[in-house]
Amino acid sequence: MKSFIAILNNELYKTMKRPRTYIGFGVIIFICAMLQAAFYHDGKEILSFVTQQLDMVFNVQGNILNGNLICFILLQTLIVQMPLLVALVTGDSVSGETASGTIRFLLTTPASRTKIILAKWLSGLFYTLVLLILLGIMALVVSRLIFGVGDLMAVNSDTLTIIRSDDLTWRWGYAFLIAFLSLGVVASLAQTLSCFIDNSITPIVSVMAIIIIFTIIGMFDLPSFDLIKPFLFTTHMISWKSLFEDPIPVKEIYFSCAVLLAHIILLLSISIYYFKRKDILT
Amino acid sequence: MKKILLLLLCLGCLNLKADDNAKKLIRELNKKFTLLNDYSADLYMKFNIPGVKMNNMRGKVFFKKPNKFRIRTKGIFFLPKQNPMQNISNMFLDTTAYTTVISGYEMIDNRNCAVINMIPLKSDNELILGKFWVDIANPLILKTQITTKNNGTIETRNFFGDMIQYALPSKIIIEVEMNKMKVPKMMAMDLKKKSTDKPAGNQKEKGSIELNFSSFKINTKIPDQVFTEKDEQ
Repeated sequence: MKSFIAILNNELYKTMKRPRTYIGFGVIIFICAMLQAAFYHDGKEILSFVTQQLDMVFNVQGNILNGNLICFILLQTLIVQMPLLVALVTGDSVSGETASGTIRFLLTTPASRTKIILAKWLSGLFYTLVLLILLGIMALVVSRLIFGVGDLMAVNSDTLTIIRSDDLTWRWGYAFLIAFLSLGVVASLAQTLSCFIDNSITPIVSVMAIIIIFTIIGMFDLPSFDLIKPFLFTTHMISWKSLFEDPIPVKEIYFSCAVLLAHIILLLSISIYYFKRKDILT
Repeated sequence: MKKILLLLLCLGCLNLKADDNAKKLIRELNKKFTLLNDYSADLYMKFNIPGVKMNNMRGKVFFKKPNKFRIRTKGIFFLPKQNPMQNISNMFLDTTAYTTVISGYEMIDNRNCAVINMIPLKSDNELILGKFWVDIANPLILKTQITTKNNGTIETRNFFGDMIQYALPSKIIIEVEMNKMKVPKMMAMDLKKKSTDKPAGNQKEKGSIELNFSSFKINTKIPDQVFTEKDEQ
């Protein structure tokens, strides 16, 4: 256990020492600040596009453009971009060391290969968690400070669900938990590919290619895609949105979490299995 | 020829009688409306709007003559653009702005009602046609159908409780017709939802807002700032 903690500390240190780690934090802060500024100036116009059918008949009363809505929009937007930031750091956890040759030194330590890969995986998850906490602070806390607290008007393709502000905190908690699970899949996928490939860039680009292909499959309503859609992790990455429906489709959310968790376990197992048998030739 | 003239005369008399009856009912209604200068009440709202899911809400309603109106509550809610609670008494009291005629009689909730058509006299009036189902035995507006230039037609059903003397309903059901909500799937990021088979066209759907009033406070001289202060979020 001691050797595992030592390796984990070492991996965390390496993750936090690399400049690319801070690119992710910078991007999150920049995108959040940029969108908050845009919504501060033009938010009502942007919203009128969604509410135009209601505006024809009703006077919509109350503050729609509030911190909760901004957080909802930011999370919806960034959940597509964040995998790139996660893959940027986790995608070369093994391949980067293989390419630079430092993997040889790492493997001379008394820790087993399983422990090494687990430490790298946990370090990747830790980075993902910090990224999400930062997103939570920027998207929820800062938005609430700028735009105030209010009811959330959650937008789906055929319904608007108004959720009262006092019923939101626990939903946000679970939403970020599901987002963590989603990004955990991305981190696991990036690390698995990193075990197979011996250069830094290819796993990162491959993860992005996989996410883009899966997202495109999810976007189209083609019968031939319907069979595979439920098993694509990208389909379930946005299941945090289901928490903002009324009634909450609990079974659907459980299924999504199970699919995401199964992906994580499968990918981690593959990476452990492969890494244990990997010939270090560099 | 004589028979035709007689028939026309009878029809004319009937029309005058209907016009007189309408005026009489409106006079009775206006007597009740004039008793009311302002009111406040607790409000419970139920929403059944197509494509919108929202919980019922509680709030407080304030009204002051001639047309100051406010619902004070915490959060987002919807009210029709043509707010019947704000305008009706105001509309009726200005008797020089419209002409009325009874177009028929109908039973509503076992009450015999005269269907009064209100037609504005000035062309710049926002109202195109108002139809009011007024209880003959005890003049109260049980149902309205108001068509305006900008906001289409809105129907309301009024149910009365203990504020009959002021013609104040204890429950109003406002019916609205609106296009089906549709947000592009890409914009809503609905990867899980399948598109419906129905064409997205101009499908109109009916919805309603139910307003239940209780604990009325009448003529308490509500200060004007109640209508201008900002809502709690």
